Parts: sequence; structure tokens; C-alpha cells
Amino acid sequence: MKRIEIDPITRLEGHGKITIFLNDEGDVENAFLQIPELRGFEKFVEGLPIEEVSRVVPRICGV
Amino acid sequence: MKLKVGIYWGAACGGCDVAILDTHEKLLDIAAKMDIYLWPIALDFKYDDVKKMEDGYLDAAIYSGAIRNSENEEIAILLRKKSKVMIALGACAHLGGIPGLANFYTRDEMLKRIYIDSESTINEEGVIPLESWNVKEGELDLPRFYNTVKTLDQVVDVEYYIPGCPPVPLQIYSALSLIWDDMLPPVGSVIGAGDKALCESCPRVKEEKTISEFKRIQQVLPDPEKCFLEQGLVCLGAATRSGCGARCIKSGVPCRGCYGPLDDVPDLGIKMLSAIASVLEPKEEKEIDDVLDTIVDPLRTFHRFSMPASILRRKKE
Repeated sequence: MKRIEIDPITRLEGHGKITIFLNDEGDVENAFLQIPELRGFEKFVEGLPIEEVSRVVPRICGV
Repeated sequence: MKLKVGIYWGAACGGCDVAILDTHEKLLDIAAKMDIYLWPIALDFKYDDVKKMEDGYLDAAIYSGAIRNSENEEIAILLRKKSKVMIALGACAHLGGIPGLANFYTRDEMLKRIYIDSESTINEEGVIPLESWNVKEGELDLPRFYNTVKTLDQVVDVEYYIPGCPPVPLQIYSALSLIWDDMLPPVGSVIGAGDKALCESCPRVKEEKTISEFKRIQQVLPDPEKCFLEQGLVCLGAATRSGCGARCIKSGVPCRGCYGPLDDVPDLGIKMLSAIASVLEPKEEKEIDDVLDTIVDPLRTFHRFSMPASILRRKKE
């Protein structure tokens, strides 16, 4: 099975790669979008003083 | 001859890339001086294009974002190999930045909260991303999520640092112009920023600081003309490098240190604690402790952008 990797995907905010598997006829058998990115705001804003949260979460996305 | 440059982001928000774009018409000057060979946010080059380059092919690599996972580190090592000069752009690459707040937790604590316990997640089987996973067509892989967030210079040699979250666009431009004007300072320098503490260029009036209690900003109506610290509001301007134009202070909120420490100061947080200790009103140890206890969440305040670069580095395990 032939494999095509598009890494990284571009012109967007964030990280991603696409892996495409082609069968013997050259048709797409399956394709996967993978997000190789995680920073974890879900965890590290826990317990942060509420007045500081609004200064931290804009850094989720700066685009 | 035009300079060859690669621009990349590790664990970042894209704000540094946007700050480059926010140089507005100066972008035309940048485009006249530099050809770009990698810039995921804006141009369609792939990692393979970089891997095919000869070592040292690029004149400069500009890396924003922290080192959060193995992909961030691999691309940092790749760009280091392919570039004559490595530049850390922004607080995350420079100091660890906001993603560095994860260093108050372990990898397992992070993954459990994010993928299993979060209120918006239904994950009864407790699945977390694996580094390698077999599907029927073949194997898929993802980067390793590290236990500890690192700065760029903790994984590769870095020649220059452009600080800030985000860096001020014109400061980026002036830093880049040092490259094409061949005016780069000694290796290890912070470029595109000031060399004095932010306090010295702060527009607010400073009188005599004597602090008897720290307050939270919602508990007071701050005087817009007066020094935040003198009003009992923690402001990191005394320990933070200038160059931002006091943009937070002019917006009515105290400094949180995104431009990092001054030269020869290894740890912004400790420097700030020392600055605060010198302006407390009480002189007896017990009373000093009582005043310091009124600072809410001191570690994540003093090391808001710099935990991975600090002497502490991370929470003890």
C-alpha cells in the first residue's frame, strides 16, 4: 500500500499532518488527519486567579 | 544576494508569526531582503524540503514557540543543522512562555485532565493519544508529549533572542535588519529590545514605594497615573526588560514579564521577589511574611512567561 504524507499542512493556525494510504489501483483507501500539537491550557489555567485568566487564554491562538 | 530564511513555530499560538506580518508595509522591505524557505503559517513548504537542504544552507532560522513535544525538538534540531544563525522569536522560544505553565504539572496530570476528566469530553475508555498506532492500512505516529516544557536553547544552540509575547512588530523588523545590515551583536544577545528595566520607561508616576498589603486588580480602582506596585498591585516592570513600549501598563494592567529578564539576570522571578522585598513596609520577619502572603499565586505570577527558563524549571516530582 502506498503512503503519502502531507507534513506539515500549511497556511492555517496550528499544526497538522495528513497521511493518505493508496491501494494497488492507486485509489485512496483511507486518509487520516493528525494533530501533532497539544499545549494543555485545560490543565494549566486551573486555579489561576480569575483576573489573570483573561491574560493567559488569548495565547491559545494569536492569529 | 538575498538572505535565505526559515520561519517555524513549535508550541506556539501563531502570535509571533502574526507579529511579523504586522510589520505592515515593512513586509515589502523584508521580502526584498529575504527569501523564505519554510513558514508553515503563510507558505506551503514541507519538512522534506528542509531535510533536502545542505547543512548551513539557510542564513537564519527564526523559531517561535516552546519545546513541548518531540516534533518541536526534531524540527529545532533540523533547522539548527540547516542554518548559520538560530534566532529564538518570542517569549515561548526565549523563556518557555505561557505553554511553560505546564511545568507546574506532570505529563500524566496534563493528559488525564485534557483527554479524560475535562467536562466537555466523553472518553469512557480513557483513550489518550499514542505515539504509534496501527490501523489496517499501516502505522500512524504522533510526537511524544514531554513531561517538561523547554526553551529553544535547552535543546539547540541559539545565537539571538527577540523577546516578547508577542514581540513588538517594529522590534522584529529592527532585529531582522541587523541580519541584512551585518550588524549582529555578540552571540547570545537579546535583540529587538531595550537594555534597561521597563520601570525606567514606564509613564506612571513613581513616588516612594512602601507596600503593606498586596491587592488584586478587581479589589481597587487603580489610579491610572500612579505606579501599580505603589498601589499594592504586583507589577513585574522592575525586573523585566524594556522594549514593549509599556503596552500592558498603558492598557491599565500590570506587567507580567513577557520580555524576560535583563542581561546577567538568570531568573526574572527571583529578581522580582528581591525587588519587592526591598519595598515592603514592615521590617519584622513575621509581618513581612504576612504581607507576602497577600500575593495570590506568586509562582505563576513571577514566572508567568519564564518557568522553563527559571532556576526552578518545573514542579518537583
